[in-house]
Amino acid sequence: MSYVNVTQLTKRFADNTVFNDIHFTVEQGEFVTLLGPSGCGKSTLLRSLAGLNPVDGGEIWVNGENITHHSPQQRGIGMVFQSYALFPNMTTAENIAFGLKMKGMGQQEIQTQVQQVIELVALKGKEKHYPHQLSGGQRQRVALARALVVKPRILLLDEPLSALDAKIRKHLRQQIRDIQTELNLTTIFVTHDQEEAMILSDRIFLMNQGKIVQQGSPEQIYTQPANEFVAQFMGNTNLVSASAAKQLFNLDTPHKVAIRPESIYVKEAGRHYEPHISSPQLGVIKQHQLLGNVIRYQVEVHDCELSVDLLNRSSERLLANGSQLELLFNLNEIQPVSA
Amino acid sequence: MPKANVNSNHSAIWHKTVVYGIVSVMLLPILATLVYSLSSSWGATILPDGFTLDWYGQLLSDPRFLAAFGRSLLICSASLALSAILVIPAIFVVFYYFPKLDKLMNLLILLPFAVPPVVSSVGLLQLYADSAWPIVGTPWILIGTYFTIALPFMYRAIANSFSAIHLNDLMDAAHLLGASTFQAFWLIVLPNLKKGLLASLFLSFSFLLGEFVFANLLVGTRYETLQIYLYNMRQTSGHFTSALVMTYFLFVFLLTWLASRFSAKPAAISE
Repeated sequence: MSYVNVTQLTKRFADNTVFNDIHFTVEQGEFVTLLGPSGCGKSTLLRSLAGLNPVDGGEIWVNGENITHHSPQQRGIGMVFQSYALFPNMTTAENIAFGLKMKGMGQQEIQTQVQQVIELVALKGKEKHYPHQLSGGQRQRVALARALVVKPRILLLDEPLSALDAKIRKHLRQQIRDIQTELNLTTIFVTHDQEEAMILSDRIFLMNQGKIVQQGSPEQIYTQPANEFVAQFMGNTNLVSASAAKQLFNLDTPHKVAIRPESIYVKEAGRHYEPHISSPQLGVIKQHQLLGNVIRYQVEVHDCELSVDLLNRSSERLLANGSQLELLFNLNEIQPVSA
Repeated sequence: MPKANVNSNHSAIWHKTVVYGIVSVMLLPILATLVYSLSSSWGATILPDGFTLDWYGQLLSDPRFLAAFGRSLLICSASLALSAILVIPAIFVVFYYFPKLDKLMNLLILLPFAVPPVVSSVGLLQLYADSAWPIVGTPWILIGTYFTIALPFMYRAIANSFSAIHLNDLMDAAHLLGASTFQAFWLIVLPNLKKGLLASLFLSFSFLLGEFVFANLLVGTRYETLQIYLYNMRQTSGHFTSALVMTYFLFVFLLTWLASRFSAKPAAISE
């Protein structure tokens, strides 16, 4: 039996079903992500695991114990909120000490443990600061420390990075992952950012409209999307109709076919291609976008517009709008997907 | 850029002139009362004949004044204690459990303003005239009435403090860290209301201290408060009543100053 077992979990608000028949397991020390667009029920699911929203059906087991109807205080679950939820009237040290105080721990012991966790999240020197005197990244680290210090069985993170700017976000997500690995902490992370999910997670549960539509490692979800929604949600993808797939790839399938922009190449004269590369198809560049290390071309081939990503090597190799080129497709990387 | 500086200097001078002009006009009657309360006699001359603290001496040694002042303090404190004890938990329940009720509460707290004091005091007199509780003419009816007058001030200020914090997230975080709802309220919610609470308390206090209509009609001389004392003393020397008004004003000013001090945000310590 896995460390965390969730079976048939269901939640309704009035006659609106937030999530329905949710099943998943999480191993001890695993970092999993609930990923999905806003309104897919991922945050409500997380809050239900924490006991903050009662569920209407199903069970939650942690380490062989049924906690479905336990109060939040009894669950031994730590949580970091998107709004940080730091207590404004308490300093960093007091915020972190709060959970230990509630446990009735002695003053001396509290101090040692608070010091340890402050060092862990690199907040030394900020012990006596109040939340309004800290930056967003520092506040989020206080929130993390406060959740960690009580040694929770599971750590829940509800979009903890979404209010931070890009640079701090990148830094902090690495820090969260490092701490999680160091403490071997079972962690469930909620985000709508597929890049964040792929970088951080051991496994991703991709949610849509109250259901987990696919679960697996980031590689599996990216390369083998179960359906159209997954293919489009994870990164960029070209979805072509079955008839276009016949024309472009000579592939017979009743489904639409997904191909990533990076799986399409431009034919170079004199180069030998492996058999899994398709025969060339003539296309016209409609427009292009510079994304930094990659240039994304919109190319029209047989009435079908495809995104093609090419590495941004040098300005001489930049192709102008309207120019013609021959496209090759990596047939190993095309994926029929159901609706 | 020097030009912009000149411009902003000009507009700063203009703004200051306007503000100080208005302030001096408004200070004029107060200063006049102050001078009058300090002058020995000021009749047919442009300037007073001489200055004296006698009027203040007379006032502060009048046992009737001290008693009235004490009664006023007692009634105001009791009303505000009652409203704090009732309003804070009520707002907590509204914001935490029934957020939709906030609209209804906003309507309710306007009711004391909707009925003019003269009308509602006559209503109260009739209601309690033959009631099983003969509280007309006692401080109790005044405490109850002042509670309703203070309610809008208290509710708005404290409700604003509630909206300023992420109440639900704070409660959730506290619960997950092992705190009961009462502990979370006591240790986290209440300390964060302190500013709004103190500001509204001082503001309501100074407002209630000057309330006259209810005090006069419901209780009058049967329990002489500061306002009633002032009214009853209107026939005595103007210098004496001026000293009374100034004492009263200073006290209210002190309370208002405290109220604004507590509502101001502390400056953030720079890192």
